[in-house]
Amino acid sequence: MPNPPSIDRALMQHLADLARLHIPAERLPPLRERLERIVAAFSALQADSGPTAPPAGEPTLRLRADVVEPPLSLDMVLANAPQQAAGAFVVPRVIDA
Amino acid sequence: MSLPWQPSAVALARHIAAGECSAQEVVTAALDRIRTLDPAYHAFVECWPERALAEAAAVDRARAAGAPLGPLAGVPVAVKDNLVVAGERASAGSRMLESFRSPYTATAVARLQAAGAVLLGRTNMDEFGMGSTTETSAHGPTRNPHGQDLVPGGSSGGSAVAVAADFCPLALGSDTGGSVRQPAALCGVSGLKPTYGRVSRSGLIAYASSLDCVGAMARCAEDLAAWLDVSMGQDPRDPTSQPAPPPVLPRLAERRDLRGLRIGVPWEMNGPGLDDDVAARTREVAARAHDLGAEVVECSLPNVAHAVATYYLIATAEAASNLARYDGVRYGLRRDGHGRLDAMMTRSRSAGFGDEVQLRILLGTFASSYGYSEQMFDRATQVRHRLRADFQAAFATCDVLLSPTSPVPAFALGSQQDDPLTLYLCDALTVPASLAGLPALSMPWGTTADGRPVGVMWTAPPDREDLVLQIAHVLQQHSDHHLRRALA
Repeated sequence: MPNPPSIDRALMQHLADLARLHIPAERLPPLRERLERIVAAFSALQADSGPTAPPAGEPTLRLRADVVEPPLSLDMVLANAPQQAAGAFVVPRVIDA
Repeated sequence: MSLPWQPSAVALARHIAAGECSAQEVVTAALDRIRTLDPAYHAFVECWPERALAEAAAVDRARAAGAPLGPLAGVPVAVKDNLVVAGERASAGSRMLESFRSPYTATAVARLQAAGAVLLGRTNMDEFGMGSTTETSAHGPTRNPHGQDLVPGGSSGGSAVAVAADFCPLALGSDTGGSVRQPAALCGVSGLKPTYGRVSRSGLIAYASSLDCVGAMARCAEDLAAWLDVSMGQDPRDPTSQPAPPPVLPRLAERRDLRGLRIGVPWEMNGPGLDDDVAARTREVAARAHDLGAEVVECSLPNVAHAVATYYLIATAEAASNLARYDGVRYGLRRDGHGRLDAMMTRSRSAGFGDEVQLRILLGTFASSYGYSEQMFDRATQVRHRLRADFQAAFATCDVLLSPTSPVPAFALGSQQDDPLTLYLCDALTVPASLAGLPALSMPWGTTADGRPVGVMWTAPPDREDLVLQIAHVLQQHSDHHLRRALA
């Protein structure tokens, strides 16, 4: 059985960046230890080289008619926005003027 | 105390339709019971008394006017906090959505309303469905009516407790890897996870889209059949939803015993690792099924040993993708990024998601990331296909499969929080049917020596909800485990 992937500090930071999560320094070691234990326990899947069956039981997708339906109103869409103005979501400036 | 919804939701709807009691009396009794008892159990995150009484009054007016009533007219129901209702809050047990108010109603809820059911409120759950104890909720834990120091299971723990504590006869849940069946088992009620696609997912706050199913909990199979009949069917808002088969409830009593059925007992799900009492109760239900005419045989699902790893790699990878939508822009919690968009998103997500959700997002990101997805996610997908093939082979010789629902009965609150792997293994018996998209029903069958409920699970081929409901109904006609109540 191959060794399970090691999850070091740099990989943890990479995963946190991908997931857009900030992990405080004091939480990083216990979180890394938990994740590594889970991945190690699941590593039996890597070693499993049994035959791959063809997909079976996949649900059939049934698309609705391609017609325009009334959308939610702008007021309803914006009702939950943390910040809005002039009928739009407001976010911090992305490109400096 | 006799409650108007004893013994069943179906009977209650008949009483209301016949004018033997009013919907307003029933809903008032339910709200009073919740107000009196629920502070000790915390099944509900929020009740909607004004809405509930208005809906009940509408049922009573319709009956007085001689208008046709729906099959569940006046029946009070609870809704899991991840199924949205127009104008009401829905938080999925998360701080991230604590202020979210839905602009539309989930199809599963709308169909219950169309059947005349009355919405009592929203029930507690593990955050975004990620947990097996209802302890990861941002609203605090829910307690089991069979012991206040016990977990109710999860993630639909609030809905299971709502039925177990007799706050209502029917409650909606969702089941991604066992989140209806496991809490039903731990709380001593019946729970149905239909075939994937049988009930629309529109309006269900997503966890893992290839696994998520809307399910329900009730005392008895008859009520679950009534729920399924009004809820199933194609929905233009969910392309995975399938056309409805014939209704089940009218055919429930067709089977008076279990003659002609071949019941498979997968040895991998009935062997080592089970609590002794859970194993004993499962043997007892198999013996009872045999007494009622069924043939009981051992069978095998060779890939079940990999089901937990397969489930958690697939579910967390899908969750990492689904939960990317919570970025503090359009809805949900926002934290100040001091003028930077990326910092705003990262701080919002870090403040809004709890520890378990963050752990699972990281696991899912890892499982699907460049350099690791081939070993993790892709491999899990292959094992999922093999598991489906295992079920197909088992159903070539057996009509239905029997196992315990959970390897262990309800355990103490707080006892497993430091060990995620132990908690994940609690799902070992429920995730196989989830991965294969199969219908499965948990029903109570006795207790442990110290009185904790035990649930047994029936799993059927795709679209055969009628089979598991009929089997449970026959057994419930010949037993009283489902009538055992936790609270006076």
